[in-house]
Amino acid sequence: FCWKESWDIEKNPMASKGTPLHGPRIKLIEKAQNLFAETKEHLFESKAAEEHAKLLRIQHEIEVSTKQAIFMDSSISDTIRTCIVLGNHRAAMKVRTEFKVSEKRWYWLKAFALSTIRDWDALEKF
Amino acid sequence: MAQIPNLDNSPLNFASLREQSQRELLSILKNIRGSKCMVIDPKLGGSLSLLIQTSLLKENGAELRHLSAEPVQTDCLKVLYLVRPQLNLVKLISSNIQNDISKGVQREYFVYFVPRRTVACEKIFEEEKIHHLLTFGEYPLYVMPLDEDVLSFELDFGYKECLVEGDTSSLWHVAKAIHKMEFSLGVIPNIRAKGKASTKVAEILNSLHAEEPVNTSDTGVPEISNLILLDREVDMVTPMCFQLTYEGLLDEILQINNGAVEVDAAVMGAQQDGKKIKIPLNSSDKLYKEIRDLNFEVVVQVLRQKATSIQQDYAEVKSTSQSVSELKDFVKKLNSLPEIARHVNLAQHLQSFTCKPSFHGRLDIEQTILEAQNYEICFEYIEEMIHKQESLVSVLRLLVLFSITNGGLPKKNFDYLRREILHSYGFEHMFTLYNLEKAGLFKKQEVKSNWPTVTKALQLIVDDTDTANPNDIAYIFSGYAPLSIRIVQHAIRSGWRSVEEIIKLLPGPHLDMKRGGYSNISSSDTVHGGQSNLDRVADGRRSLTLVVFIGGVTFAEIAALRFLSSQVGLGYDFIVAATKIVNGNSLLETMINNGS
Repeated sequence: FCWKESWDIEKNPMASKGTPLHGPRIKLIEKAQNLFAETKEHLFESKAAEEHAKLLRIQHEIEVSTKQAIFMDSSISDTIRTCIVLGNHRAAMKVRTEFKVSEKRWYWLKAFALSTIRDWDALEKF
Repeated sequence: MAQIPNLDNSPLNFASLREQSQRELLSILKNIRGSKCMVIDPKLGGSLSLLIQTSLLKENGAELRHLSAEPVQTDCLKVLYLVRPQLNLVKLISSNIQNDISKGVQREYFVYFVPRRTVACEKIFEEEKIHHLLTFGEYPLYVMPLDEDVLSFELDFGYKECLVEGDTSSLWHVAKAIHKMEFSLGVIPNIRAKGKASTKVAEILNSLHAEEPVNTSDTGVPEISNLILLDREVDMVTPMCFQLTYEGLLDEILQINNGAVEVDAAVMGAQQDGKKIKIPLNSSDKLYKEIRDLNFEVVVQVLRQKATSIQQDYAEVKSTSQSVSELKDFVKKLNSLPEIARHVNLAQHLQSFTCKPSFHGRLDIEQTILEAQNYEICFEYIEEMIHKQESLVSVLRLLVLFSITNGGLPKKNFDYLRREILHSYGFEHMFTLYNLEKAGLFKKQEVKSNWPTVTKALQLIVDDTDTANPNDIAYIFSGYAPLSIRIVQHAIRSGWRSVEEIIKLLPGPHLDMKRGGYSNISSSDTVHGGQSNLDRVADGRRSLTLVVFIGGVTFAEIAALRFLSSQVGLGYDFIVAATKIVNGNSLLETMINNGS
């Protein structure tokens, strides 16, 4: 029963996608997270919702600091790639630690990102 | 060559089935006097292109338009909408008409639903207060031939509707289509069904017979002796495997739509850049009929042989003086040159995909997953694909395959891969994962997998397959015999009884049913009109089996059934019917949340 209710709420933020008002959206996702947390079976969903809200916040921060509105709604991996491509290694590192991105995935992302900008020197170094 | 297939060699009278549908459509047009604009929903339009020439519609005074959000541009005062009963389509029609009203244009509107009208759709017109302006009708197109031996119910989302959303209206559609066919072909005496949807269809079929019995004395001996109904859910392994027959590969790489593929003109050796060419693919193309179901490796060899043999003949014609009849033979051969050229071009294009190392890597891992011996290797392969952010649909194909053959993944791995997917492809795929879990395609392991038992009992993994001279359907996937077709083989031979223990391991109930009073009549006792029927009686007991796939069928599976038909000793011919032709990608794409 709680399952369905939380899906309905989770669906709302999807509908509000693309609007500049992210505050209410994050609130809704957090509400979904709490609903998921009420039952034991939905621990995974609850965690995912938590991470989603966190990601939106971080993306917002990066957009403010880089003055480029290209991060919102891209995935964690895409965010890291974009950061590296833009040469913003500090932000990339931050996303990595915030979301405990594994060594393996990190290497693939970095390798792809560096080869997109043809930074062969950096690629060789790491 | 026409996109509408020639049906003369069909084991059943498909041609008359198609003519009936054509007649019904034309009579709808004729009943609306004068010139009219016919507005079709685009998906339905694609299906109709396999049914009737557009010129024939134009001859009957119809301008053709596709239904869209744009208002209809026409001078006609009569507009005929031909649509499937879907709410979004009805809303488009309604906004079209509102637009006319606001402009003060007065027209006569006709709305014909395919295959039948529904209360929900008419309700919308009532709410919009335009119900009184419309004349409603039905165009009862339930099933249409795609080729000599393939029927389609043209139901797009049947699979997801049933499994995820629990909507069973498509099952009624299937039962109704079979019931309708039985009026001309006779009551099918044996029904075997496996799966929740299939057994339901069998039940609905029974109740349709109770309401509206088919008079057995009118139809004589039934032309179809067995009906096998299978849920796609019973075998989701096969569609996840990459198809390796020529036709299957064309569908995987270029997507066959309504019996044709579209390719860049450059692929076909034409000069116009960037232009697309539509190539019809059906059995009217003799060469295609010969090679469509072969393993692609063999296709390349066959095409090479054909080309060289013409080359040799040409050399002989040039060097020696030949008799007129020999020359005639040669010219005849030359007539097949355009067909050869067409398929050489297509095959070459496919080869640019199949020669890549990544393609072979994928086939290897598929085989490893099917053998279910090396869990770690498979797991790491999929993990790496996710990390490299390879296309989500190809990741999911392997993941679903992996999950089904393992009876789900251990919770730790399941949660880990789900997290990695959300991180790599975005949190909106929470819904994709939810859909897959609900459909049982990617889930947590609860009990030990029975895949190894099924594989062994039904001999699904065949080590030494000779793809050039196959003796088993395993040639289709170079060593894997499709589960669904193995089930059909057993059902045909001895019904469910002999494999009951194995059948029970697969999802859904099964059912065995005898109908009508035919059990005592053997085909040799009866004289029945129609050349094809006499032939069948004369050459012994080749009986015809209709295999219905609810939730879709792949070209590879059709190929496997054709292979079984061609086996001399077996004595069975197969007709395939499906809600839709599908492949792994098209099945999974309906599950993927694309943010809308």
